[in-house]
Amino acid sequence: MASKHKLLAPSGTTRLLMGNEAIARGAIEAGVGFVAGYPGTPSTEIIETLATVAKDLGIHVEWSTNEKVALEAVYGAQLTGVRSMATMKHVGLNVAADPFMTLAYTGVIGGTVVVSADDPNMWSSQNEQDNRYFGLKAYVPVFEPSEPGEAKELVKLAFQFSEEVGHPVLFRSTTRISHVRGPVVFGETPKNITNKGVFKKHPERFTVIPAHARKLRGELIERWETIKEKIPKLEPFNRIENPGHKTAILASGLAYAYTKESLRMLGIENKVTLVKIATPVPVPEEQILQAAENAEKILIVEELEPVVEMQVKNLLYNVDKTIEIHGKDYVPLIGELTLNKVLNGVARIVDLKFSVPSKRFSNTTIKLPPRPPAMCPGCPHRGTFYSLRRAVNKARVKPVYSGDIGCYSLGVLPPFREQDTIIEMGGSIGLANGFAHTLEKQVPIAIIGDSTFFHSGVTGLINAVYNSAPQLIIVLDNRVTAMTGEQPNPGTGINAVGDPAPLIKIEDIAKAVGVEYVDVFDPFEIKDGTDAMYKALKYVLENKKPALVIAKRACALEIDRVAKRKGVETPMYQVISEKCTACGVCYNAFTCPAIMVEEDGKAVIDESLCTGCGVCAEVCPFDAIVKTRDGDPEWYELWNI
Amino acid sequence: MGKPERLNILVVGVGGQGLITMSNTLARAALLDGTKALVAETHGLSQRGGSVEVHVRLGDVYAPLIPEGGADVIVALELIEAARAANNLKNNGTIVANDRIIRPAVPNVEVPEREELLEYLKQFTKTIYLVDAYDIASKVGSTLSQNMVVLGTLMGTGLLEGFVSIKAVEKIISTLRRAELNLEAFRRGLTDFQRI
Repeated sequence: MASKHKLLAPSGTTRLLMGNEAIARGAIEAGVGFVAGYPGTPSTEIIETLATVAKDLGIHVEWSTNEKVALEAVYGAQLTGVRSMATMKHVGLNVAADPFMTLAYTGVIGGTVVVSADDPNMWSSQNEQDNRYFGLKAYVPVFEPSEPGEAKELVKLAFQFSEEVGHPVLFRSTTRISHVRGPVVFGETPKNITNKGVFKKHPERFTVIPAHARKLRGELIERWETIKEKIPKLEPFNRIENPGHKTAILASGLAYAYTKESLRMLGIENKVTLVKIATPVPVPEEQILQAAENAEKILIVEELEPVVEMQVKNLLYNVDKTIEIHGKDYVPLIGELTLNKVLNGVARIVDLKFSVPSKRFSNTTIKLPPRPPAMCPGCPHRGTFYSLRRAVNKARVKPVYSGDIGCYSLGVLPPFREQDTIIEMGGSIGLANGFAHTLEKQVPIAIIGDSTFFHSGVTGLINAVYNSAPQLIIVLDNRVTAMTGEQPNPGTGINAVGDPAPLIKIEDIAKAVGVEYVDVFDPFEIKDGTDAMYKALKYVLENKKPALVIAKRACALEIDRVAKRKGVETPMYQVISEKCTACGVCYNAFTCPAIMVEEDGKAVIDESLCTGCGVCAEVCPFDAIVKTRDGDPEWYELWNI
Repeated sequence: MGKPERLNILVVGVGGQGLITMSNTLARAALLDGTKALVAETHGLSQRGGSVEVHVRLGDVYAPLIPEGGADVIVALELIEAARAANNLKNNGTIVANDRIIRPAVPNVEVPEREELLEYLKQFTKTIYLVDAYDIASKVGSTLSQNMVVLGTLMGTGLLEGFVSIKAVEKIISTLRRAELNLEAFRRGLTDFQRI
């Protein structure tokens, strides 16, 4: 049992699966042959899980360079008749929006599912955009599950539906589906999957020149009418429970789970008609009209935007009776749903006096220190930010730190505060392209990670050279897409399924596109790093051209894990108490989480957290931190990239 | 007193302490005993040494998140995080906490005293169990097993009777990596705790 992958358990087995694993299993049961995506919380584990079984099952699984490329690859694959799936986080669909819009115009040959994992409450994102709007905008049906077990079934259905109507399906998950674990019952998997096909030429359909696009637009609207007719038939995913009551609640996706539990807690499960919606776009009109026949009041419960509410109001405008409709006025627009929010809305629609539980008050208060996420012990980014501050001071420039999305976004926090703007994936060099031409007394410094550089930073770099935008670009290369859990990227040397792959060097790209000043430094060497960035800054100021420097060290999380697994001995460091003056540089200015503070203010290293990077020893102004044990030579090798 | 229909367990601590492994172990054991389980975890940024919250719901549950102020049990792998979560505890709820404080990696941070934290927790409930999981886990062989010690204490309190059995938890732990060490940690946690 232990050796067999948990995703490949036999039909009939019940397993505790994370929503993303359930989506992966659903795709396997549907016979998916091609999967591409870009990592992004909360979507990452779909591909991560599929990658571990891809070779066994004959599925092509890849991490693409970005979401647009992923969806384009899926576009091509499905045109050969292979069932295909693209995965990304919600903001990734912004990047992939261009092919997504056209996908609806041409329709699909092989079943095509685009998974968007939305992030209500912005647990790991820059916004909480509701991607169901993409469905309305592009005329693409949106499927939305209420829990992990249903997610698996619904993905399977999405592939069938897509192939049947020749149209893509947008599968919308959210953090509380993707990252929730619940029981999932396994179904049958196909004996053979189709992973090869033939492209049948049909230029009137697949080349969207204006003359063709105009015709396709008409066909799209016709297809949409067919889809609207078929959607209510998707039972039991769309269904009506307890029909005939004067109060009806329509709940879409995850909102169904909250509504169901609220009705139980209030003891009114049998007094209210509940319409469960798994297709917020287009809404199942049949069930809604049926519920409206007897209803005097309707409440629509959905997370974030009033996507269902707008459609329902539109639909019921022509119904010949007065119905009171509530939605976002009863259940808040902002943030993720909670049981408290939904209980409140449900109690209100049935005029029930109910005191919704809330957080408790205490008689005395306590001052609790904040605990924001921090860069890990041994994280090379810490050394880079520490050195960058020194280089900037030495060069006496006023920097504007154009930041980006990755673990190094944490550089926005004290003590570093070296991220002045963070906008979107790959935007650091992009914004610096503007700063470079409009700043007079400040210098733009773009800070970007390796994966983010490949994602979309590279186009900004080409622009910087072409439009001669002087800026210092610092690439923090730790060889992996670290933030989302160390996925491989074009700079890693392996691909998603673990096979060796060409390693593309960022310094080679920079030189090839015409950056004249390119340098590489070791972020574990504070003095060298400071010098490297100082020189590059000087170059930018004197030559009015972009310069690019790369900080190269492996991700500490990865090395720590590999070293532990292989039993590689790490170096050990200690604070010599007599030499320590309690100045606090190591724990207040360098802030390594492995350095603790004694009552007298002196530093002490927590050996269970220390990775042995040794940077604190260089940072200590009093040489009070010393190496007490050397590491295996292999340990030093692991860090080199 | 009849068995409640559902049990809400809020697991809190610091990223990297093994909260997710602990919560999944519990939920998988629940499934083994035929109890429905939902686990909601926060990912992404919180992995990096920040505060982490995992919602474990057992029994007749649909929603993934415990309502505010609706936790029957708070399981804390660290005392500051226990205090941060305490206002989510129901009246007469239970706190099971690792007797350990981890300094946040924040410049010039003021860390509250242990006694101060315990006094604060006592305002929310009379039922607090403490376990020195760090000490027990180091004696067993690895401080990484602290989570299993605390899981042991949670099971040792008898709070989960009717939802999850000790036997089922042991069965799941034996499928984990370093099973023997983790089992030993779990068993020590079952008894080596005190009620304050």
